[in-house]
Amino acid sequence: MSADFYIRYYVGHKGKFGHEFLEFEFRPDGKLRYANNSNYKNDTMIRKEVYVHNCVMDELKRIIVDSEIMQEDDALWPPSDRIGRQELEIVINDEHISFATSKTGSLVDVSQSKDPDGLRCFYYLVQDLKCLVFSLIGMHFKIKPI
Amino acid sequence: MADVLDINDVGDIDVEEEGDQSVSRLKDKVVKRKGRGFGGGESRQHEKVRAYESVDHGDGDDPGPQKSVEGWILFVTSVHEEATEDDLNEKFSEFGQIKNISINLDRRTGFLKGYALIEFGSYEEAAAAREALNGSTLLGQPVGVDWCFVKGAKKSKRKSRRH
Repeated sequence: MSADFYIRYYVGHKGKFGHEFLEFEFRPDGKLRYANNSNYKNDTMIRKEVYVHNCVMDELKRIIVDSEIMQEDDALWPPSDRIGRQELEIVINDEHISFATSKTGSLVDVSQSKDPDGLRCFYYLVQDLKCLVFSLIGMHFKIKPI
Repeated sequence: MADVLDINDVGDIDVEEEGDQSVSRLKDKVVKRKGRGFGGGESRQHEKVRAYESVDHGDGDDPGPQKSVEGWILFVTSVHEEATEDDLNEKFSEFGQIKNISINLDRRTGFLKGYALIEFGSYEEAAAAREALNGSTLLGQPVGVDWCFVKGAKKSKRKSRRH
């Protein structure tokens, strides 16, 4: 029914608690992988994976297509810095985006950037994706992500 | 400067099984590429993440529904943007006690994003709700109800890859 697609999101930085990051990906076969690493208070890495049903992949695809992120470009977005880095990689139909930017503090940062519309699109999509992933992982494994 | 991102010491994501091949095959088909993530200097920030935990599959490896830690979870789609948790509760609790429910909002509009996760304690309750409520209407809108998690990879793999 739906064409295969792939999505990966990463946010992280290296600091006094090591390489702290959150990363998740959905593979074309429905495998969701989630990793969350922090060395804060000797916390260890959380790594979870589970296969989601086709209906979840379809919903995810709908969210991505509706967001119109594939029409954006990261050329003018703030580059990653010592504060951190975000990466969003999506392969859908015949298009492949691999965007990289700094961490987004708030919508004020977004409005003051060189590409507020594009960055806003990215900002909201990332939030919507995180919500979905946290619900899936949180309910399936009975953990509270982050 | 120890806290500056060091991109040279991290390896690529772990190479494993066919899942990786399907991802790279998907990437090979692409005709348009965009973004700085492709650039030479800055490489991806993958850590080597080796062992991912998963919930035990039990026996059989058909990609049927997968039990979650505490129950069976349904994924509801096409939920009306103004529906409430009570609306869903009312509809689904007819089939058993709902153990957990998760409804997310569209971060831009503040309305419902359109999907919900609903957990039942037993397989029978979840299966009955799925059977009865898939295609039923909520606030005048037909909803989709299906399993949220499955035991293995999508079956239609080969078919859907070539189109």
